[in-house]
Amino acid sequence: MPYRLEISLKPDLGDAEGEGVRRKAANYFGIYADKIRTVHIVTLDADLSPDELTVIQNEVFTNPVTQVSSYDPLPVEFDWTVWVGFRPGVKDNPGGTAMEAIEDILHRKLPADAAAYTSKRYCIVGSKITHDDVNRIATEILANDIIQQWNIFSSSQWDMKKGVGIVIPRVILDHTPTVTTIPMSSDAVLRQISDERNLALNPKDIPIIRSYFLDPVVMNQRKKVGLSDPTDIELEYISQARSDHCNHNTFRGLFRFRNGDTGEETLIDNLFKTCIQAPTLALKDVKDWVVSVLWDNAGAGRFDEDHYYVITGETHNSPSNMEAYGGAITGIVGVYRDPLGTGKGSRLVLGGYGFCVGPRDYRGDLKPRLTPKRLLDGVIEGVRDGGNKSGIPTTFGQVLFHPGYMGKCLVFVTAVGMMPARIKGKPAEEKTTSPGDLIVMCGGRVGKDGIHGVTASSEVYSEHTPAGHVQIGDPYTQKKMHDFLLEARDEGLIEFITDNGGGGLSSSIGESALYANGCEVELDKVPLKYDGLDQWEIWVSESQERMTVAVNPRNIDRFLSLSRRHAVESTVIGRYTDTGKLHIFWKGKTCAFVDLDLLTKGFPQWEFEAFWNPPEKRGLYEPVIGEPSAYGPLLLDILARPNIASREWITRQYDHEVQGTSVIKPLVGADRDMPSDASVNRPVLNSSRGLAFAQALIPQYSAIDAYHMTACTIDEAVRRIIAVGGTVDHIGGVDNFCWPNISHDRLSNPDGRHKAAQLVRSCMALKDMCLAYGIPLLSGKDSMYVDGYLTGKYGEAHKVSALETLQFSTIGLVQDVGRCVAMDVKLPGDRVYVLGITADELGGSEYYEHLGHVGLNVPKVHPEKFMSLYKALSDVIREGFAASAHGIYRGGLAVHGAMAAMGGNLGMTIDLGKIPSDKPLRNDTLLFSETPGRFIVTVSPDNTEKFEARLEGIPCACIGLVTGQPDYIVRDADGRTLIHVPVAQLKQAWKKTFGDLK
Amino acid sequence: MTDVGTLVLTGYGLNCDHETAYAFELAGSRASRVHINALIDGSVSLDGFQIMVFGGGFSWGDDHGAGVIQAVRMKTHLGEQIISFIEKGNLVIGICNGFQTLVNLGLLPGLDNDYRRRSVALTVNDCGNFRNDWVTLRANPASNCVFTRNMDILELPVRHGEGKFFSDDATLKRLAENNQIALCYAAADGGPADGRFPENPNGSLLDIAGICDPTGRVFGLMPHPEAYNHFTNHPQWTRQKEVLKRTGKPLADKLTPGVQLLKNGVDYLK
Repeated sequence: MPYRLEISLKPDLGDAEGEGVRRKAANYFGIYADKIRTVHIVTLDADLSPDELTVIQNEVFTNPVTQVSSYDPLPVEFDWTVWVGFRPGVKDNPGGTAMEAIEDILHRKLPADAAAYTSKRYCIVGSKITHDDVNRIATEILANDIIQQWNIFSSSQWDMKKGVGIVIPRVILDHTPTVTTIPMSSDAVLRQISDERNLALNPKDIPIIRSYFLDPVVMNQRKKVGLSDPTDIELEYISQARSDHCNHNTFRGLFRFRNGDTGEETLIDNLFKTCIQAPTLALKDVKDWVVSVLWDNAGAGRFDEDHYYVITGETHNSPSNMEAYGGAITGIVGVYRDPLGTGKGSRLVLGGYGFCVGPRDYRGDLKPRLTPKRLLDGVIEGVRDGGNKSGIPTTFGQVLFHPGYMGKCLVFVTAVGMMPARIKGKPAEEKTTSPGDLIVMCGGRVGKDGIHGVTASSEVYSEHTPAGHVQIGDPYTQKKMHDFLLEARDEGLIEFITDNGGGGLSSSIGESALYANGCEVELDKVPLKYDGLDQWEIWVSESQERMTVAVNPRNIDRFLSLSRRHAVESTVIGRYTDTGKLHIFWKGKTCAFVDLDLLTKGFPQWEFEAFWNPPEKRGLYEPVIGEPSAYGPLLLDILARPNIASREWITRQYDHEVQGTSVIKPLVGADRDMPSDASVNRPVLNSSRGLAFAQALIPQYSAIDAYHMTACTIDEAVRRIIAVGGTVDHIGGVDNFCWPNISHDRLSNPDGRHKAAQLVRSCMALKDMCLAYGIPLLSGKDSMYVDGYLTGKYGEAHKVSALETLQFSTIGLVQDVGRCVAMDVKLPGDRVYVLGITADELGGSEYYEHLGHVGLNVPKVHPEKFMSLYKALSDVIREGFAASAHGIYRGGLAVHGAMAAMGGNLGMTIDLGKIPSDKPLRNDTLLFSETPGRFIVTVSPDNTEKFEARLEGIPCACIGLVTGQPDYIVRDADGRTLIHVPVAQLKQAWKKTFGDLK
Repeated sequence: MTDVGTLVLTGYGLNCDHETAYAFELAGSRASRVHINALIDGSVSLDGFQIMVFGGGFSWGDDHGAGVIQAVRMKTHLGEQIISFIEKGNLVIGICNGFQTLVNLGLLPGLDNDYRRRSVALTVNDCGNFRNDWVTLRANPASNCVFTRNMDILELPVRHGEGKFFSDDATLKRLAENNQIALCYAAADGGPADGRFPENPNGSLLDIAGICDPTGRVFGLMPHPEAYNHFTNHPQWTRQKEVLKRTGKPLADKLTPGVQLLKNGVDYLK
C-alpha cells in the first residue's frame, strides 16, 4: 500500500528554495508572489508497518531541528499549490537513495517492486496571482513536460485529506521481449523499414548491408545458428556503428571544395585524416611527452615519470536544448566516464564547460522551447550538480550569448584525469580484450533511456509510459563506480575498460570485441530497471553511469567482491572470443550473429559540396565610423556587454577547489573576482608540477571567415596557458566542433555549401596552427547539426543556425607551480608593458558588434612571429620577472587593461602613443582591435632592465604605470586624456549586468 | 613520538578523502582511507586509530538533507562503536559533509553528554545556492576544542549549499556559554561578520562556522582545512609572493593554517 510523506521546513524558518522560485517568477515574467514555500514529498510504494512508518518518518526524513512532516497533507498556507513529480522512467535520484536509507534503518531488504518516489509541491501565496500566472510558473520554471508531470490546485479546490493525491510513476510495460526479423527483399523495402523503425540507416549503406546478409557464405553460417534475414538487433548494431556520432562520417567525408575567388576546385578526402590525424601523428614523433593519442576514449600526455594525464571534451547539445538541467548534468557526468574509461582507468581531476545560448533577456518574436534565461539557468545548475557531486573541481569555462544558439544551444563539457604510468608493472595506458575474458557491465541498470526516439514517437503516451529520450545523470551512482573501478585497476583486475555512452552496449562491446576479435553476449543477463524491454532496446539503450569492463576469469571473484564493497552493481554478461563474430544470445537462443569486420566492408564515404566565397565577395566591408569622443562611457558600456561582463555568479556555484589541488583559481585578484587566463592545478599532491588548463571560444569571427575564427581561437587558448606560466614546449589540444548542417539542399539548407567550405577552412586552420605551435590534438569531437526551427510571431517557422563554432581546450605542463602568475596587477609603481603588435583588426570585434557592425578585417594569427614572443614570455615568467601577465582577448586592450587594473584594485595609466603597431592606427583601433598574439604584463621597477633584456627583438613596449590612485587613465599620442574612470566604476559596470544573480 | 593513526572515511559519494588523508600525513599522522562498508563489515576496526574523519563530499548525493543518510547508516551500524571511540579519549572531526553528518548523528553538540540527540542543524544557505569562496575565520580562544588551540584568525575555503548553522535560542545560548562555538566567520580584518554576506557565506546564526562537543575532542566545521594544504591554495598567493619578494623574503614554506589546524589534533594525541 502506498504512503505519502510530506516534509517542510518549520514555519518560522526561511525557505531559500521557495524564495529562489519566487525570485525567478519575478525576474523571468514579472509575476510577484508574496511568498512561496516548498513541501517535499516522498511517496512510498511498499508494505510497511505503522512502527516502520514512524521510524522512517522520524529517523530518515525529518530533521527535528528544522523540519515538520506528516503522512497527511501539511497545513501550509497557499493561494495556489503546484505539484511537480517525475514522469515514469525518469531517473529519480533521491528516490533511489531514499530506498537505501529505508532498508538500512529497517534492517530488511524490501521486495524488488517496492520503491520510493520523490516529488514537490510549491505553496504560492499572492492574492493577485492568477491561474495563468501559476500555469506559467509551473510550466516555465518548475516543470518540463519531457521529464515531469504536474498539477495545479487552488486553495478553494484543495482537499485537506487527499492533498495532491498519490501518484506512483512506476513504469509498467505490458510487453514480451521479442526479436523481430527484418525482411529485405529489396533496397526499397529495407529503406522503408529503416524509416518506420527510425533506424536511420543511410540510403547509400543499404545495398552494402543487403549484400552482406545475402552473401551465400554468410547465409549458410547464419542458418546454422538459426538466423535468416537480419534481426532488429543486428540492424540496430549496424546503424549505431555507422552513425555520424560513432563513425564521424562528416569528418571522414569527401569534400569538393570550390574557391570562388580563384575558381579552383580541390578534392579533400577525409578531414579527420588530413587535418587532425596527420599533424598529431607527426607531432607525436617529436614530442616525447605524448603518450597515447587517436584511439582511446581520451588522449594521454606525460605528467612525470610516474603519472600521465588524460583529457577529452564532448558536447551535449540536443538533450540540453530540450531539458536543460537533465541534458547538462548527463553531459558532464557522461564526459567524466571517458577518462575513467581511458587506459585501464583514470581518476578524474578537473572539468571545464562552455555554454552557448541565446541572449539571456531575449524579447523577440521567436519562441524557443525553453526561454534563454531558463535554459541557461538549467545548464548552469546541471553542470553544477554533476561536477560538484562527482567531487571534481570545475576550474574553467565560458558562456557566450548569440541569437544563433536559440535554434539549438551548445553545452561543451571537458574532463581531465590522471593515471599512474604503470599498474603492477604494466603500462597503464595500454589495454586489450583477449578471448576468454569476461564482459562485465558495471554501474547503473538499463531502461528505455536515450533510445533513438522510437519509443517516444511510436507509442501512445499513458501514465506509465517511460519518458526515455532525455535523461538525468546520476553523479552519486557514478562516483561510487569511479571509486570502485580505480581500486580494481590498482589491484590489476582490469584488462580493458570503456564507457557506455552513445550506442550503449552496442558500441562499448562492439568496439572492445575488435581487440579479441569476437564476443558472445547473454543479453538476458543484463540487469534492467523494469521488465518488458525488447532485446534491441537493451542492446542500444544509453542508460547512464555504466562501464563495460573486461576481466580475466581468474580475477572475477575479487572484482565482484570489491564491487559489492563499494555498493556497485556489476554483472557478467558474456565473454570475449576469437571467432570474428558478434554473437548475441537471449535465453540461450541466438538473436544476432554478425561478422565484426562487416563495418570495414566498403561502406560508401559521405560526400559534400563546398563553395568558398571570400568575405569581400560576400559583401562584407569595413564600416564607416568616425572616431568616438566619449571613450569613457564607451568602455563602460562595452564592459557591461553580456559577452564581456562578470560571470562570478556561475563560477561561485561550481566547486573549483575540491581535491585540494587548486593553484590558479578561476577567480583571482585582490577581491577574488576576476576571471583568470587559465586554471592551474597540482593533481599529484606531493609534486610541485601542475596542469594549466584553458579554453577559448570566439565564433563571432566565423561571420567573416572560419579559418581565422579557428586560428584566433587556438591562439587564444595557447596564450592563456602561457599567461599563467605554461610553455609552448608542452601544450596539448582538444578540438570540439559544433557546426550547422553542411549538406546543401536548395530549399532546406540553401547555404550548406558555404557552411561546408567554412568547415574545410576551419580544419585547415586547425592543422596549420597545431603544426606551427606544436600542439598535438589529444582528443576531439564534433557535433554537426546545430540548427533548429523556431516559431515566429505569425506561426511561421524560422530555421535558426548557429555560428560555426569551435571550442578549443588547451592543457599545459607547469614545472613548478610556485612560479605561476595571475592576471591582476600587483603593486603601485609597476610598469605596464604590452607585448605583441597591434593591427587594424576590428572585423568581428566586440566593438563593432556594440556599434551594430560586422566589418571585414578579421584578426589574423602569425604563428611564426608569435612563437618567439611566447617562448620569451614563458622564460621571463619562469625567472620571476613578471608580476602579472594577462592576454589581450575579446574587447581588446581597453577591456583587458581594465581587467588587469580591476584585478589589483589599483589604477593604471596607458599611453596609446607607445603601443607597438604595424602602422599608425586610430585611437579606437588601438583600444579595441582584437589582434591576437598580445599580452599585458606588469613588471616591478627593479626588474625592468632584465625584463627588457630578455625580450630583446620581441615587439614590446612600456606603455604606462600601475598607480596607487585607483583610476584607469588612457591618453592618446598627443597626451590628450581619452579615458579617466575610477577602477571601482569600471568594476561596477562590469558586474551590474548579471549582478543580481547568485 | 607516538604514532597517531587517522581514519578517513570513503565511499557512497564522499569525495575529499585523498586530500584529507594527505593533509593529515603532512600534519604528522599515519592516514588511511577506509570505506564505510569496511568498517561496517569489520574488515577494518576503529581500534587501530585515534582520529576518525568524516570528510567532505556528497554522501548519498545529499538527497534528503546533507549528511542525513550517512548519519542513518553510521548510526544504524556503528553508532555505539563511535561513541565508545570518543569515550576512549580519541578525536572525531567532521568537515563540511562530515560536520553535517555529525550533527545529524547527534555527536555534536553533545550537550549533557548526550551523543545521540539532534539539537542543531546545518541547513540551506541563505543565498539559496552552493557557494565556493574563501572566508576569514576567528577561533575562540576560550574553547577547549583541541583542533583550534592557539589559532586566532585564519582563512579557509568554504564549498557547500547547506552550511547555515541553525538551532533554537536556548541551545545557542548554551553553546556560547560552554565555549563550544570554536570557529566563527569573520570580516577580513578579523572583526565579527555579524551575519553579513559574503563574509558569513551562508547566514549561520552567531556566524558559527564550527562547533565542538563539551570535551573539545569532537569537532565539526564547514570550511575545508584540507584544501589549504599548500601555499598555492590561497586565492591571493601570487599577490603575497610578490609583496614578500620585493622585501627579499621568500613565500614562507611553513605549514599552512589548514594543515596546522589538523596538526593541533594530531599533536594533542602525541
